[in-house]
Amino acid sequence: MFHPRSAPRSAAALAALAVVAAGALPARAEIPQALVDAARAEGTLTTVALPHDWCNYGGVIQGFKDKFGLTVNELNPDAGSADELEAIRANKDNKGPQAPDVIDVGFSFGPAAVKDGLLQPYKVSTWDEIPENVKDPEGYWYGDYYGVLSFAVNTDIVTDPPKDWPDLQKPEFANAVALSGDPRASNQAILGVYAAGLSAGGAPGTEAGEKGLEFFAELNKAGNFVPVIGKSGTLAQGATPIVVWWDYNALSGRDALNGNPPIEVVVPATGVVAGVYAQGISAYAPHPNAAKLWMEYLYSDEGQLKWLEGYCHPIRFNAMAKAGTIPQELLDKLPPAAAYEQAVFPTLEEQEAMKTAITAGWDKVVGANVQ
Amino acid sequence: MLPFTLFALMFLLVPTMFIVVGAFRAEGGGFTLAHIANLFTPSILAAFSISIRISLASAFLGCLIGFCVACALTVGGLPRWIRGPMLTFSGVASNFAGVPLAFAFLATLGRLGLVTVFLREWFGINIYALGFNLLSFWGLTLTYLFFQIPLMILIVTPALDGLRREWREAAEVLGASRAQYWWMVAFPILWPTLLGTLALLFANAFGAVATAYALTGSSLSIVPIVLFAQIRGDVLQDPHIGYALAFGMIVVTGIGNALYIWMRTRAERWLK
Amino acid sequence: MRPNRIWAWLALAVGILYFALPLIGTIEFSLRMRRGVYSFDAYRAVLGDPQFRATFSFSVVMALMTIVLGVLVVAPTAYWVRLKLPRWRPVVEFVTLLPLVVPPIVLVFGYIRLYNTSSWLPLTGTAGGTNVLLLAGYTVLALPYMYRAVDTGLRAIDVATLTEAAQSLGAGWITIMARVILPNIMVAILSGAFLTFAIVIGEFVLAALLNRPAFGPYLQVLGANRAYEPAALAVITFAITWACMGLIQLVTRLQKHTQVPR
Repeated sequence: MFHPRSAPRSAAALAALAVVAAGALPARAEIPQALVDAARAEGTLTTVALPHDWCNYGGVIQGFKDKFGLTVNELNPDAGSADELEAIRANKDNKGPQAPDVIDVGFSFGPAAVKDGLLQPYKVSTWDEIPENVKDPEGYWYGDYYGVLSFAVNTDIVTDPPKDWPDLQKPEFANAVALSGDPRASNQAILGVYAAGLSAGGAPGTEAGEKGLEFFAELNKAGNFVPVIGKSGTLAQGATPIVVWWDYNALSGRDALNGNPPIEVVVPATGVVAGVYAQGISAYAPHPNAAKLWMEYLYSDEGQLKWLEGYCHPIRFNAMAKAGTIPQELLDKLPPAAAYEQAVFPTLEEQEAMKTAITAGWDKVVGANVQ
Repeated sequence: MLPFTLFALMFLLVPTMFIVVGAFRAEGGGFTLAHIANLFTPSILAAFSISIRISLASAFLGCLIGFCVACALTVGGLPRWIRGPMLTFSGVASNFAGVPLAFAFLATLGRLGLVTVFLREWFGINIYALGFNLLSFWGLTLTYLFFQIPLMILIVTPALDGLRREWREAAEVLGASRAQYWWMVAFPILWPTLLGTLALLFANAFGAVATAYALTGSSLSIVPIVLFAQIRGDVLQDPHIGYALAFGMIVVTGIGNALYIWMRTRAERWLK
Repeated sequence: MRPNRIWAWLALAVGILYFALPLIGTIEFSLRMRRGVYSFDAYRAVLGDPQFRATFSFSVVMALMTIVLGVLVVAPTAYWVRLKLPRWRPVVEFVTLLPLVVPPIVLVFGYIRLYNTSSWLPLTGTAGGTNVLLLAGYTVLALPYMYRAVDTGLRAIDVATLTEAAQSLGAGWITIMARVILPNIMVAILSGAFLTFAIVIGEFVLAALLNRPAFGPYLQVLGANRAYEPAALAVITFAITWACMGLIQLVTRLQKHTQVPR
């Protein structure tokens, strides 16, 4: 289980592995020139569902274009994970620029994509530095970055930000708390409910899901819950002064607002849930070599650091921290590491269980079916 | 007829067939009615019920208010120069939906909205204390009206233009008052058009998802949102339920259309 | 029997109030980008982008072509159905209502499956072909509104008599459509054109998944995670679209002078 709490143990293991590997492989694995040439011959890469403000994908894509001179077709930055899989399915026989080469999907979508035969395996040169339990052993999909759920608070309106989940129930936060998505469909929102459940003491899996539903039912009854989908706009305008968001989204949102209004990002004291996303190459990719080069770039130090600039913890974070390749300024901009010590990474089984509980129960328990 | 049929087939009907096929296809291929049966769960039926009610409410109100405004523009005796800008404005407003519209209403009538604050500070009226809530059935209907009313105005204006002056003069000559003219001459002529536009407004509201999602995302469970959740979204769902839902929506639209056609045929019996 | 102007002005006033207030709310918010003062910062950020003009022109051209295609597909059909095939009316009307309930994302994935590079009509392989597909998609989306508008217009004129009169003067079908029917339903066509234009300018899903440089995807990329810029964008789009429609109306008004005033 990938717990930063057990980082010292796994870091020691990784360090040992690195020493062995350093002797066996070229240091800081190089990208094979043959791959670069083949990718350049293909000329373009088609991506899908990569908003520029998410994990600094704008910077990542630009860096990729600058370094290798390829063009990048960006499809539908608004797509959800299910859309990405559907895009691969629909474009099975299509070699035109509408067919995505690479996808970045929620954790549980990796195995689902493999089951439908939508991905092709590829192991990047830094494969060994990706922790075991966030990648497919055969290389079909691999975790790329993670973050934890936090509260983004508009301190113009909420002068005393909440520190933890139980605080949200206080009367001073009336009409204030919102999720960033629909808890019946959005990964962020469902994990938000789950985190509340963990904070309330539920066991990982179905129980925390149900306790989370009860938490939100109470929140709704107390009048603290706002059913609007929380975004930068509603946060700034005041309709949703507290939004439950991935920390990287909250931090980049705070930067974009630039003090108008001032935003404070709070990682709750209990119930810290981390979410991993996964990369994969489409089985029907029209530009397979460009796709592989993209993966190499993403998992190289340069790519991983660009994600860190967007406040996302890249998957090789621990290995890179030990190797000292992370600049101190970037580390300083992140929330204190102590908050991440307690982060819980739900396993696939736990995610399935609580997802079913939450999506099925939301309407009934939280009493949202307004008549 | 032929170009239309070809066009509709190639670009509308065949792509839509994927929905119909998907609704009846079992996991490993083969025909099944299981997905349709799954539609009859309480939460999905509730979603259909809310969807239909919001669509009816916004369609009726849109029809009524739009008709009044259209009348004002055409036969109301207003200066001629108002008509052009109002029609073009209606064109833009009819498509102003989704996140921008939801946000506009939040910024105006939300708890910290411009109008809410204005009424509270200047007149001491707190509309939320009086029971108003933008994030409710009627709040959503109010928001939907923003694109329903202009649609009505645009479609009905040509029909009102078609009411010939001679008919009104003839009625006047025969001694009819204004009310009698409207009731016995104008309305019966306009009735089929009004019904047709009502059907359009209903379908328009029924299929609208972006606005509802942005405004009341997790509280009002309307069908397009449930559909959205099944075939999109970040969490694995069952696309077959999504297809069944889409099929259900097509069926409801078909039933609505059939009702409208039946009513119109009766109204048109005496028209040529 | 003078029309009672008070009611007309009242209806108009209520209408204007209802429509103006949310727009004012949006404008007010978009001006708040700089803390404490009202400024046009959000607008400057948006309008300074070179992509703005490029994608907007693409969408305007597509919109105009969609209007033309829409009229060509819908007007003859509505006319024919009204004149010769009244029994087909329910079927045609049902078909025209379908685009309102079929999610555009289903439509676009259907297109990709049907017309991809390995199919019988490889439209997605080239930019031109994909543009054709996009055009067809837009026309389908605008179909309900265009059909209802044209149908309303046809209802207001006496189609049968006009046709007979034209035929007795020796006109062929094309002449009848082009020189007799169309000018008489111009107001209705204009309504349909406005609706189509607005739809195409704001449309996002089709263009984003078919990978065409339209205005909708551009708006999304620019304003996705921001607060003030999307509000400014909404206002700008509203204003520019309104202006374009005003232009369309002006152009047709030049033609109207040849018609007999009612």
